[in-house]
Amino acid sequence: MKKTEKTPISTYQLKLKTTAIAGSLVRYLFLCAVGYVIFLQLFYVISYSFRSVADVSDPSVVWIPKHFTLDAFKVAWEALEYPVHLWNTISVQVFSGLLEVAACALPAYGFARFKFKGKNLLFVIVLLMILIPPQMIAVSMSLNYAHFDFLGILGLIGKITGTDIRPNLMDTGFVFWLPSLFGVGLRAGLFIFIYRQFFNGMPKELEEAAAIDGANALQTFVRVVVPSSGVAVLTVAIFSMVWHWNEYYQSILFFTDNFPLAVSLKGLFTAIGNVIGRGTVEGTITYQMACAALFIAPVLLMYVILQRKFIASIDRVGIVG
Amino acid sequence: MKKKNLSIERRNSRNGFLFVLPWLLGVVMFFLVPLVQSVVFSFSKVTPTTSGFDMSFVGLENYKYALYESPEYVNHFLECLSDFGYKIPIILILSLILAVMLNGKFKGRTFFRSLFFVPVIIAGSVVMTIIDAGASVEELGEVAQSAYLDGLINFEKLFTQLGLPAEATTLIFGYVDQIFDLVWQCGVQTVLFISGLQAIPEQLYEVSKVEGATKWEEFWYITVPMLGHTIVLVLVFTIIEFCVRADNPVIEQAYSLLIGNQVYGKSTAMLWIFFVVIAAITGAIFLVFKKLCLDRWS
Repeated sequence: MKKTEKTPISTYQLKLKTTAIAGSLVRYLFLCAVGYVIFLQLFYVISYSFRSVADVSDPSVVWIPKHFTLDAFKVAWEALEYPVHLWNTISVQVFSGLLEVAACALPAYGFARFKFKGKNLLFVIVLLMILIPPQMIAVSMSLNYAHFDFLGILGLIGKITGTDIRPNLMDTGFVFWLPSLFGVGLRAGLFIFIYRQFFNGMPKELEEAAAIDGANALQTFVRVVVPSSGVAVLTVAIFSMVWHWNEYYQSILFFTDNFPLAVSLKGLFTAIGNVIGRGTVEGTITYQMACAALFIAPVLLMYVILQRKFIASIDRVGIVG
Repeated sequence: MKKKNLSIERRNSRNGFLFVLPWLLGVVMFFLVPLVQSVVFSFSKVTPTTSGFDMSFVGLENYKYALYESPEYVNHFLECLSDFGYKIPIILILSLILAVMLNGKFKGRTFFRSLFFVPVIIAGSVVMTIIDAGASVEELGEVAQSAYLDGLINFEKLFTQLGLPAEATTLIFGYVDQIFDLVWQCGVQTVLFISGLQAIPEQLYEVSKVEGATKWEEFWYITVPMLGHTIVLVLVFTIIEFCVRADNPVIEQAYSLLIGNQVYGKSTAMLWIFFVVIAAITGAIFLVFKKLCLDRWS
């Protein structure tokens, strides 16, 4: 009796187990294969940037350089004018990235929690901001920034007093700070969208309690909503930082001298040529990779520090759905 | 005192508007006005002056220039479209598979996730073009490197000069480079899909398990339909990403007219043609997708 009862269960269990093992095998194989592709590329950059020029043409050197050297970094440092442009990137791009993290939360909260006239129409603008590539805007802004007019007010004053007081913002950080401050900076539409999704999914009870305690809407937002939105803030912050760091097509229009690192990467080939002299053609690849490494290093460092929290936040923020 | 007289609804509406107001000012200044301007620019000849710029209406001339007179524009455009055509479906499918694989519980999940999200922080940027170009130049040796130094990287041309048939080189480069390129472009999409997967209620899977559905059926009858809106978002994101990538030839061409030359009219016309066509294609895909999938799934 016992045996006949047990056999069907154990075959069923066996079947379950084999599918589970097969499933995880497929998973690991697939993940390792794709992971290898990603790892290889990163390792490639690191491996090359530590090589000496002799190692590049040496066929016996595959991955580990024979002569570890920082020469490539020295050249890259000079070619990129690293300290200057790194500072530009931080003061302009990173700072406006942070501004955007704060500024996009306000309208998103308005969209998520309140009913007002024209709300749907305004949300269409948010969607348009996601859809329309920033180049469209950047072209005309590059003319407007040269004589920046704050909603027509400065121009009007200028006409009355007879002196043109419209400032030239080109080649200054304002070209990124101002839009970010108003929540219309780089990919702001997407950030407002992410925040709104998050606020929509948040329970209303806390805010209601705060309102009963006599807090007004802004106080509720600052003291109750913001402290409990850490996950969303982190997600937006990482995306915002990274996209600002890599931003290129607007910077190249707006900056002539004070440009960020991403722009100096584009003119790399001539810059390296100037540093090492035209004659030395061999081994340029190590210099390029060193430049790439110098460019990636700060964001990669940020990522390594934040990755645990970032990965956890992806599960909880509810960007979509 | 006046506050108390306002009904709750009125106050709610006013508060909401106040939250949106600063952003709305920004939208007018930094989005709507420049957007309309760039439409106007594409129909005009724009000359920057010391106190702003002058414009004169030229009708469709800029568009005619882009489509008929500029020899490379149409080619660049078609190159972009064919790129979109096969890359976007692959990216969508690959990132969906990656997301499903990374979503379950398994040993080493954190490790794999942190590795797979690395492309999020790098992909699409200028640095990728350097890394990619470097990766291909390595195999070519010194001849290519000297060409490489000039920043004029056209490997296909180079290979044809070396005597290889053109079709073969295109094929070789097509496949080898694409694998790296495509995997690196899946970062954000994977993140979005994982986030969408998290939103699917666990009960659905439990029910299907009780009913005896296989993993395969689960994927097709629960996961994919529940991800409907995420798929739309990822699709839109991927298309936009392609438009703003640092190596888009159409934009490069439009920009080459802008930087240094200050030809605003023609370059905005080029950008607008590109964007309108892309938007139309995106819209068409969305409508077909909605009719075939979203409506049926819900």
